[in-house]
Amino acid sequence: MTDTPKTAGEGVYLGTDITLALAARDEAPLHSDTTPGKWVKDNLFNSVMNSIITVVLGVAVIFLLTRAAQWVISEEWRIIQVNLRNFMVGQFPRDELWRLWWSAYVLIVGIGGGVGALAHNAEDDAREKGLEYKRSSWLDLLRRFWPVLAFVALMTSFARTWLPYVGVLVALALVVAARTAGWAMPAPVRARAVQFMAVAIVVSTVILAGTSGLVAIVAGLVAYFAVASETSRRFEGSDARSTLLRQLAPIVVGVAVWFVLDAVAVDGFGWEDWGGLHLTLFATVVGISTGMPLGILLAVGRRSELPVIKGFCVLFIEFVRGVPLISLLLFSSFILPLLFPLSVAVPETLTRAMIVITLFSAAYIAEIVRGGLQAVPQGQTEAAQASGMSAAKIQRLIVMPQALRAVIPAMVGQFISLLKDTSLIATIGVAEFFQYSAISNAQPEFLGKEKQIVTYSIVAIGYWAFAYTMSKESRRLEAQLGVGER
Amino acid sequence: MFERILRLAIVLAVLGALYIAFWRLRGAARRNADAPPPWRDTRILVIAAQVAAIGLIWSAADYLWANFRARTEAIGLELNFDFLDQPSGISIADSPLNPNAAIRQALLTGVKNTFLIIIVGIPLAVILGTLLGVARLSTNWLLSKIATVYVEFFRNIPVLLVIVGTWTIILNAFPPERESWLPFGGSFIFNNKRFAGPSIEGGDNFGAFQVVVVIALLVAAAVWIWRSRIFDRTGHPHHRVLYALGSFVAITGVAYLVLSRPFEVTTPEVVDRVYIGGLKMIMPYAAVMIGLVLYTASHIAEIVRGSILSVPKGQVEAGNALALTGFQRYRFVVLPQAFRVAFPPLINQFLNFTKNSSLAFAVGFAEITGVIQNLFGQSRPAPQLLFILMITYLTFSLVLSAIGNLINKRLQIVGR
Repeated sequence: MTDTPKTAGEGVYLGTDITLALAARDEAPLHSDTTPGKWVKDNLFNSVMNSIITVVLGVAVIFLLTRAAQWVISEEWRIIQVNLRNFMVGQFPRDELWRLWWSAYVLIVGIGGGVGALAHNAEDDAREKGLEYKRSSWLDLLRRFWPVLAFVALMTSFARTWLPYVGVLVALALVVAARTAGWAMPAPVRARAVQFMAVAIVVSTVILAGTSGLVAIVAGLVAYFAVASETSRRFEGSDARSTLLRQLAPIVVGVAVWFVLDAVAVDGFGWEDWGGLHLTLFATVVGISTGMPLGILLAVGRRSELPVIKGFCVLFIEFVRGVPLISLLLFSSFILPLLFPLSVAVPETLTRAMIVITLFSAAYIAEIVRGGLQAVPQGQTEAAQASGMSAAKIQRLIVMPQALRAVIPAMVGQFISLLKDTSLIATIGVAEFFQYSAISNAQPEFLGKEKQIVTYSIVAIGYWAFAYTMSKESRRLEAQLGVGER
Repeated sequence: MFERILRLAIVLAVLGALYIAFWRLRGAARRNADAPPPWRDTRILVIAAQVAAIGLIWSAADYLWANFRARTEAIGLELNFDFLDQPSGISIADSPLNPNAAIRQALLTGVKNTFLIIIVGIPLAVILGTLLGVARLSTNWLLSKIATVYVEFFRNIPVLLVIVGTWTIILNAFPPERESWLPFGGSFIFNNKRFAGPSIEGGDNFGAFQVVVVIALLVAAAVWIWRSRIFDRTGHPHHRVLYALGSFVAITGVAYLVLSRPFEVTTPEVVDRVYIGGLKMIMPYAAVMIGLVLYTASHIAEIVRGSILSVPKGQVEAGNALALTGFQRYRFVVLPQAFRVAFPPLINQFLNFTKNSSLAFAVGFAEITGVIQNLFGQSRPAPQLLFILMITYLTFSLVLSAIGNLINKRLQIVGR
């Protein structure tokens, strides 16, 4: 709606000046070359006014902290213990919980290994270019991801059986093992880290949800891209055979994977059976990753010179951004069912909500990408035109890579807001993380016991742990990219 | 019938446009022998792409519309706005509306309540956010850490959680209705249903007095401008706050005496569980307001902090070199520049605040979303109601961003 100065990064929302200033400030190292006494004098009692503020606030903070500690100790936390599974995975069939553990393990191995390999690749790359590369130690990772780890530890401490402890410990061991193994892989293997991650994600989804419908299609797409990158690496020549292989093999393999998986039809539990934090995280990831291609298309469309296409994109983006998400979710539960033909069964509530969330995040991502596109210097396009590239190629090979790289931090920011916004699907009756606060308080055992504050604080810690970690990561990326561009 | 004619007209218009475009291009091509073939001619490609886009969008819309009509007819849903005149069956707290009033009236009350949240909440959020943003930059370690913890906490949890959390805390912190707190000898009433405080009630000449207040405001503004101009021209101290406030108080004071007590101060009273007199508000409103302000302030604090940090260091150093005091440096050098940077993202936050006000229904405050949710519950026609809901928020968003853009434009011009 507003004509904010469109730039890269979180700048779409905050303005480049602000974002870079914040990022630089938050990344600034702390000086610790003073004695404690001098530090106290400099930072707490450096003027009369500050001394008064320190004393008043100090008393208030000590009072509040003691009250909070008293509350934590005296409060009855049984409601969390009883509902631990509900908060984490909702009503996922209790006999099938192994699926969740194994899919989590596969995911951890895939992502951990991939990240390790990518870090090693980045170091090699930096060395080749003669740049400095700061390898992040395990301590760095701990410092970056402590909120999530602390949340997992907190939730595990509520468990009443030994199984979750073992599961979490195995998961932690797998993180360490996978990252180390990924790092140690030989270069040709490491070059395929992204494909490895994508396959791991598909396998993990198959373990959970089986191979019917959507999963098979996604698997086919992943196979297509994996084979495409493999063939383009192997058959670089411009002779007819290479070209044919490059063009055809990915499609054949992709379609084959799709059909085979669809025909095999392994059973699983689709997202109607999911719930809790698991569903919240999944809905966020799906919302961003399906919104991304659509958002990029909308952003390009909005910059189009054709009035019809531009007008449509502007209308769509500004409409979605101008109304609250809750009204779009009401649309999904009241109007969307009416848009399906009479012959077709209306999809589940969650599926409809996800359609709307995808459109919603697409509109916001479009604005982010547009910011990135505008940050790419005009000279880049002109140079590409001068060398005779087609408009589509210019977009795909020259403009987009630069634009998307610049907006990674803002995408992380969008991920955070979507993570928080998914709490709204509770209002149309989907039992995600936040909704279990109300559900558990309505159970006969806890009805009328006024345990809302207990459940709300656990839910708040959960959202906070993920969102805070991501926002720190976003700032870190911003600082890296910002420094690089200056 | 009408639909069909409309469709036909649009198809004909598109075909006509195509026809005209084709002949004009053909004429141009004949004059120019070097013209490229039509499938490489960008002028033709541009038109073809747009026609294809229109066709695609049109057929998709047509398909969805046909489905929509089939489904609505199957369930007997009428697509008109006649239901707006039926009794709403909603009783809204602190509103003279009874359940027999028309839906139209209930919706208007909802819009009014949304407006009440926005108009009170945004200024509060800006004030709290600015204080927090400045506090984070304080040299006092404790103060800046507390502000940091506050901002990083509220920025990273869902606003819905903040609102319902505030509501729960209010429910638990305030006593039930029959044990209300009555501080200041009953001038205020606090319980977990509502709070009430003293207010003014118009007397005989209240209308005339209101007019005088408006005039006094205008006079005060004029005095403000006059003092500012004198300051700009001569550099003498302007004291414009003092002058403006003085003239306002003088005029209203004289009017109060001349009009022989145009208003009286009333305190609230509870008679048979009905609140009489005074200013009163239900607690859900307070919960929504506090929740939204706490949440939005954390975002505004980041904008304020970032915009202050974005002012180049040289500016501060130049201020020091001119021997400005710390306050003067802030007031005349840093803040004016920071404000210009901060304004566009601030408008964004105002828009977010407006949209987030739709979450008030979660604590049972009857703003527009709450009223419409209630009507959904009574099986009122959903498409029309949702249309009204979206149009309402779009209007709020458009008006807010139009005002914001206007101010922003002014700010930018002043800067150059």
